[in-house]
Amino acid sequence: MGLISKARVKSPWIVHYCCSSCNGCDIEILACLTPYYDVERFGILNIGNPKHADLLVVTGPANRRGSRVLKNLYEQMPDPKLVMAVGACAATGGVFHNCYNILGGVDQAIPVDVYVPGCAARPEAIIDGVVLALDKLSKIK
Amino acid sequence: MSLTELLIGLAALVLAPFVGGFLRGVDRRVTARMQGRIGPPVRQPFYDFLKLWAKALSLPNKASLVWAWAYLLLTMVTVFMLFAGQDLLIIFFVLAFAAACLAFGAYSVRSPYAHIGAHRELLQILSYEPILLLTVVAIFLQTGTFMVSGVLEHGQPLLLTLPLAFVAVLVALGIKLRKSPFDISASEHAHQELVRGVYTEYSGRTLALIELAHWYQLVLILAFVALFWAQPLWAGVLLALGAYFLEFVVDNVTARLRWTWMLSISWGKGVGLVLLNIVLIQFVFSSARV
Amino acid sequence: MLSGESLVAVLVLLPVATAAASLAIKDERWRWLLIILPSGVLIAASLLLLAQVLENGPLTFTPSGPWDSLILIVELVLLAYFVYVGVARRHLLVLGLGATQLVLFALFKFAWLPSGFKVQPAFHIDLLAVIMCLVISVIGSLIVMYALNYMQSHERHLKLGATRQHVFFFYLVGFLGAMNGVVFANSLLWFLLFWGLTTLCCYHLIRHDLTDEAEQSGLRALWMNLVGGLALVTGMSLAYQASGSLSLLDLTGFGTVAPVMLLPLALFCFAGFTKAAQVPFQGWLLGAMVAPTPVSALLHSSTMVKAGVYLVLRLAPGYEGTYLSAGIAVFGAFVFMITSVLAISQNVSKRVLAYSTISSLGLIICCAGINTGLAIAAAIALIIYHAVVKGVLFLAVGIMEQSIHSRDIEDMEGLVTRLPALAGMAIIGMVVMLFVPFGVLFAKWAGLQAAAAAPTVWFSLVVTFLVVGSAAGIVFWVRWIGRLMSHTAAGAGAPEAAPPEAEPRGSLSYLVVAVLLAGGVVLSVLAAPLVSYLISPAGAAMGYNPALDTAGWHLKTPFGFFTPWVLFVVIGAALLLPTLLVRVRTEDIRPVYLCGEHRASTAGGPVFTSLGDQAVPLVTGGFYWSRAFGERSLNVWVNGAGIALLAALFVGVIV
Ligand code: SF4
Repeated sequence: MGLISKARVKSPWIVHYCCSSCNGCDIEILACLTPYYDVERFGILNIGNPKHADLLVVTGPANRRGSRVLKNLYEQMPDPKLVMAVGACAATGGVFHNCYNILGGVDQAIPVDVYVPGCAARPEAIIDGVVLALDKLSKIK
Repeated sequence: MSLTELLIGLAALVLAPFVGGFLRGVDRRVTARMQGRIGPPVRQPFYDFLKLWAKALSLPNKASLVWAWAYLLLTMVTVFMLFAGQDLLIIFFVLAFAAACLAFGAYSVRSPYAHIGAHRELLQILSYEPILLLTVVAIFLQTGTFMVSGVLEHGQPLLLTLPLAFVAVLVALGIKLRKSPFDISASEHAHQELVRGVYTEYSGRTLALIELAHWYQLVLILAFVALFWAQPLWAGVLLALGAYFLEFVVDNVTARLRWTWMLSISWGKGVGLVLLNIVLIQFVFSSARV
Repeated sequence: MLSGESLVAVLVLLPVATAAASLAIKDERWRWLLIILPSGVLIAASLLLLAQVLENGPLTFTPSGPWDSLILIVELVLLAYFVYVGVARRHLLVLGLGATQLVLFALFKFAWLPSGFKVQPAFHIDLLAVIMCLVISVIGSLIVMYALNYMQSHERHLKLGATRQHVFFFYLVGFLGAMNGVVFANSLLWFLLFWGLTTLCCYHLIRHDLTDEAEQSGLRALWMNLVGGLALVTGMSLAYQASGSLSLLDLTGFGTVAPVMLLPLALFCFAGFTKAAQVPFQGWLLGAMVAPTPVSALLHSSTMVKAGVYLVLRLAPGYEGTYLSAGIAVFGAFVFMITSVLAISQNVSKRVLAYSTISSLGLIICCAGINTGLAIAAAIALIIYHAVVKGVLFLAVGIMEQSIHSRDIEDMEGLVTRLPALAGMAIIGMVVMLFVPFGVLFAKWAGLQAAAAAPTVWFSLVVTFLVVGSAAGIVFWVRWIGRLMSHTAAGAGAPEAAPPEAEPRGSLSYLVVAVLLAGGVVLSVLAAPLVSYLISPAGAAMGYNPALDTAGWHLKTPFGFFTPWVLFVVIGAALLLPTLLVRVRTEDIRPVYLCGEHRASTAGGPVFTSLGDQAVPLVTGGFYWSRAFGERSLNVWVNGAGIALLAALFVGVIV
């Protein structure tokens, strides 16, 4: 693994977008940042700005209005970038499936690299998902 | 400038990023520990830097990239000048130019967040600049010179006669290092109402440049703090590290506050303290004035 | 080669003659010829005078002929005219001040001075006077040339029926002659006349547009300057009483008479403060911006206010080491600080420039008050650099105003894309004003060192004012530059941004701005030779030890050191290399972050989706923090503090 790949793996900065979730998964993502899970020890920072981020973490299903914003954010992230869909909603639409305003999973709007299942997804699962994403990241040349 | 000074200056240019990055890593680690976390490895800033450097270019316009470079290069000039024993006033003038370049970079993009950040950056300059310059004058009163080389030769530790000025410099240090309660222009800890303030529109390589400039600046500022106990030098280094540690503590026990508060602290207390110190030198330790 | 006497005659009388001629000539083409030719002659004459004085030392002479009576008559007419203005405009202050001055002067001249009293020499032209003369003649002439273009479009814009340009140029060009007279005169009687003439020209130039606002501002300028004139006349009588002499050389301790008591000197300096628009007299200079821009440029950079600081500086040897000196230093430093702070709250470009002028003048006055060799050198350097750069900025703002029809900094947003050449020059001008390694900063550097080593117990206060003021300066300049630079680059696929407006880059006014700017940069690079050939000798001629060592093109004081050209190379590389080397492809351009709500931007700039899916163009604005730094909240304190400091000055001097 080259130095750059290693640096990428060691420093995934995330930007978190709540598409139209019930906020359950969002709380779990925030839980990852608490001292109990402390994801900063893996170099993960919640950076809050797509222009700085490597990993777009989306909760909730893609809906008709929010997916435009989602696409915009995704396009503003510089390459290499990954998308992680957190929660059942983000994967398929979940409990919101077939609602009048819902398109379905996040992959209806943007390409998704990692799906983290659960309702809500547990912090351990989210961290697991990040590790999977990093695995994918390390393969990007 | 002698050849040794030139060499020391060049050596500082090469080594400063490593020292600065390492210190930033220590900062993140210690901060994490203070918050009951484990924290990232000490070499984390270098990973961040490399990752940012290797990201694809994505910019709002060319000007912002040019100003980011200017920010880095001018900061490097100040580091070189300080370690080569040059004039402190000129060093801080160039540093002001560098700081302005960061603001220019943010201003050059028509972005609301960057603009608010740039304005606040100016308020930060407004706050720390008088303290730094006035402290330089206080140092001059003790040593009779504005040259760093001359200050280094001064036998007595400056801290003994400039304690109040030192306290004021700690305030300026907090602002310059963008620590709470003074991190108003860029929200270092991802408090996100400004997105990322002055840095909002930077990404990838430009952000890496700015990060690098911050490492240089960290070294510069700590070296300036070390001047307060220049003989022996290790005492100065310890002093600087102590001051740096103090900033961690303050950073973690305070919240960021309004700019008016920052200005009143830095002008009222900071400038006031240095002024008081100068008056003390003048009348109490009057023999010490050259 | 022309003799010194004739050069002086050219420098004083040629502008007056040109002015008179321009009053008569109303034809546009002839006016161009009429203005440009004598301007060239003026510049040449001032350079020749410099050569003479450098070679032979100060030039001292009294012109033969009935000049004294002529001067007296003109002076009386002038004062009577001020009284007339007071009556005609029903302005009590002007009337009262003018009348008092007239009576006082007449009493002094006819009842007190022995008849046939002559001041020998009438002219004393040392290096300081020549430097001032260069500033006036070179920069002043350039501004006059700029005015040719400017006034054309100004009148076109105002849709005037009959042109009034001949009147305008009468006062504008005449001003230069009066100013040269001010800096050359040694006899106070002569000095008073030229001083009064500058007041007269200033009044008429400010009210040139004849709007209500212009009239008001003109009258304000008039009465405030008459306060100074009154102080001058009073000081003259006191000085005569104390020393029996009316020669500036005697007053400053260079003549045959011992230095006089401080009160007349304090009164003279007070007159200088009013002319230099120091707090609490800043009002007239702020109001002067209603005038056409060349007037502001002239008032701010090379004439008028510079006469004020010149007087303070000229008298500096007279009050060296006294209470007055310390008082002037504190006062100047205070003005420097407080006007910089006030400038933060201003969004009208000309007001920002006005405040920054007052602030720079405060710094010059402060340096004169510090009164050491280093401080005097700093003051002279600042006079030169400030004149050049302020000229650039005012003239650039003038063109901007005519292009965008606004003088608001907010409306100047993004001028780098709309008027690239002009905005570029303005930005460089501001950088020259603000940052190392340029000349203004060099003067600040020397001034700060001088203040730190000043031989007064008040130095700590002076230094504090100086550092706070210079930090405030950074804020308002950088913000302005920022507003000018703010723009959006067109990304791939985006519509082309609006093409820049056609700029008349070859026009005389653009040329003048460019020449001045180039002059400022070149003079900054050549700071060391400038110091060693002009500034230090000028200080030495005033009796100060040269404090700057310029061997090997370094600038070295006893306490500090830097090398301008090295710094230029390094900082220039830091700025230019990225500009030249960095390549950005349009594919890499991304829209600005707008919380993901941005849309494809239009030619007008970024657009975002707002309520009801409306596309709303993005608007950004500057902060001016007017609640914290605004005139409304600060002015009372500022003026109060200014008056208190002046009162302390006088009380201390009298006691
Ligand atoms: S997956 Fe469950 S917890 Fe998560 S957003 Fe959907 S409904 Fe809420």
